[in-house]
Amino acid sequence: MIRFIIRRLLYLIPTVFGVILITFILFYAVGGSPASVALGKNASPQALEEFDEQKGFNKPLFAGFWTDTRALPAWESKEGMSSPAVLPVGTDSAASSGGGYRRVMPGGRYRLPTAFGLRKGTAYRLRVVCRSAEGGVLRLMEGTDAVAEAAVTAGRGWTRRDLCFKVESDDTLVLEGLQGGIELRSIRLQRRVLHVFDSQLIHFLGKLLRWDLGESIATSQKVTTMLRRGVGPSLLLTVPIFVGELVLSLSLALICAYFRDRWPDRALVFFSVALLSINYLIWIIIGQFFLAYKLSWFPIWGMESWTNLLLPVFIGIVSSMGANLRFYRTIMLDEMYKDYVRTAFAKGRSPAGVLFGHVLPNAMIPVITNTVVAIPFLYTGSLLLESFFGIPGLGGMSINAINSSDVEVVRGVVWVGALLYAGASLVSDICYALVDPRVKLR
Amino acid sequence: MNEKGTSLWATAWQQLRRRRMICSCLWVLGAFLVLALYGEILHQWYRFKDQTPPYQRVDLQKRYIPPSVFRHPLAPSPDGALPGLATVACRLANHPLGTDNLGRDVLQRTIQGARIAFLVGVVTSLIAIPIGVVLGCVAGYFGRWVDDLVVWLYTTVACMPGLLFVLAIAMVVGKGLMGIYLGIGLTTWVGLCRLVRAEVMKHRERAYVMAARSLGFSSGRIVFRHILPNVFHIIIITFSLRFPAAIGTEVFMSFLGIGVQGEPSWGVMVSNARLRLWQGVWWEMTAVTVVIVVVVLAFNLVGDALRDALDPRLKSQE
Repeated sequence: MIRFIIRRLLYLIPTVFGVILITFILFYAVGGSPASVALGKNASPQALEEFDEQKGFNKPLFAGFWTDTRALPAWESKEGMSSPAVLPVGTDSAASSGGGYRRVMPGGRYRLPTAFGLRKGTAYRLRVVCRSAEGGVLRLMEGTDAVAEAAVTAGRGWTRRDLCFKVESDDTLVLEGLQGGIELRSIRLQRRVLHVFDSQLIHFLGKLLRWDLGESIATSQKVTTMLRRGVGPSLLLTVPIFVGELVLSLSLALICAYFRDRWPDRALVFFSVALLSINYLIWIIIGQFFLAYKLSWFPIWGMESWTNLLLPVFIGIVSSMGANLRFYRTIMLDEMYKDYVRTAFAKGRSPAGVLFGHVLPNAMIPVITNTVVAIPFLYTGSLLLESFFGIPGLGGMSINAINSSDVEVVRGVVWVGALLYAGASLVSDICYALVDPRVKLR
Repeated sequence: MNEKGTSLWATAWQQLRRRRMICSCLWVLGAFLVLALYGEILHQWYRFKDQTPPYQRVDLQKRYIPPSVFRHPLAPSPDGALPGLATVACRLANHPLGTDNLGRDVLQRTIQGARIAFLVGVVTSLIAIPIGVVLGCVAGYFGRWVDDLVVWLYTTVACMPGLLFVLAIAMVVGKGLMGIYLGIGLTTWVGLCRLVRAEVMKHRERAYVMAARSLGFSSGRIVFRHILPNVFHIIIITFSLRFPAAIGTEVFMSFLGIGVQGEPSWGVMVSNARLRLWQGVWWEMTAVTVVIVVVVLAFNLVGDALRDALDPRLKSQE
């Protein structure tokens, strides 16, 4: 048994790693920086950069030495675009455009319009894709001092040149062309990070290890605090739903098993499919409108006393009962046709004795695994019930966060939920092994 | 060759046809398909002509018209005479399900909603089913590290908290249909993948696969030409059962405002009608509710029947 648990614990490591990876890819790689959401559309590049610096968004994604900086927006020409949408190279009139490419004339000097001062003592690199018909040299100058130089050989093909330099002063960056004219296709300014693993992924991992889930963009509260505060009301709502629905659907499933293929069973099956087909949303709206508003049996909104919980719990039980009743019935029926049940009936045990003494314990195995796995979902609360009935739990909080694109909160809830689920599946497997000794052999 | 054999599919079809309930469900689904196609044609037509379609046209003069049955279609004409049959029919056909708070026809919007629901069901299936099938087949057939990798992948995805994960994907991708497609499509392949993997594992050891292997067929050919047809019924069953679930999720997401934008989907209609419900405007809510419930119920019943007919063993593996 101990060996089984240890092996199962080891399985947990790749799963948790996978969860981290998915969360990371979803919220960092695809989602990108929430800076513009947090600071608004008109925020200055400097403010955005500072926000990213604080949250660790201005690092390479997985690993690498160079990262983009907002000081000079990356620019790439689209072939055939004649009017320059962005004019990154110089305000100098000599910078002419030919076919959408910036042209650096021999002897011309073009100021790089950086949005804010670069960090002193930090290495940067200017990556350009260029070509030159007659060959030329690109020289980068800080003020009047030349800091980097790259030769462009003559030819028709595009080549990439990196101009690496270290920023020493506040002087503006100037790009100078020497010898022949050079055409530029793209320009990108990148900053060197501390080391190759100074990346967003490692930053994210470090934050997770310190149990720092960041701060809400909307309310600038700590996400961990918000989670801790929301979990109570959520559980107050979900635990009664969970228990009530488990008891109710198990007993109805037993009734089904007892009356199998006779009319009470058929009626219950149809009833469960019908329950299943009615959208959760509709249950809530109808329930709130008729039971709370029209009949005023229940309070409509808020979280003042326990009576506020009655209606949401009732709706929660009704709306999730269909699926579970069906599932438990299948399990019970699977058992009902087994030999030991026939033997029990043959030796003259009462139907109730067979049902409760033989069928139920055996059917409990899949029920337990199914139940344990469902427990972590209690933590996220019920997304809709909470926002409809004004219960200040995690579900309502997540909905608000999604509506206001509050990435940090959503990420926190998703991540903790996934972690709990991974843990619960471990517990569920152990339970399974405890109640069913055959499992360990596999 | 006079011996009459019936295929799995023919037997299943006969079983379905014998049940009257399932037949009526199939009719409902047929009507749903036709309405969705009609909605799509209408939508494309107005897009092609670059006009505001009638189901989007705001007409404040015609706000809150109740369904035609409730507008006294038999009331006498202004001159006191009883209305003729044509007049009554005309009255009944004018906004048969009433109008909403902006004077838009509820029936037309419901049909557009059917179009969106259909699109969501099909597109999310087109995303989820290939992922599940390919990963499941590959894992089941090749076993070893491929299997480990796939199992790792689906355990990980299964760990993500259901609906919240869907919503998070939609949030990151951006509001609109694409968010719904990706959110639902990328999260709902796990169950199918599990089933296909287990089934392919069983088939791997069968004699026909051995025979194909000894004939020197490539692995790809064995998996997709020989094994896949034998597990295809799982795909059909999964499709029919995930379709209503996708519709439900779309309603949910559009209701929350991160789903369909600027088009009348059922979720948008529910969210719109909910606010009017308190003012006593019940018809929009009723229309949408009834349509959603009927379509989803029909899908669930047909899916269950299909499962019973094609593979009863799947029942306990949900």
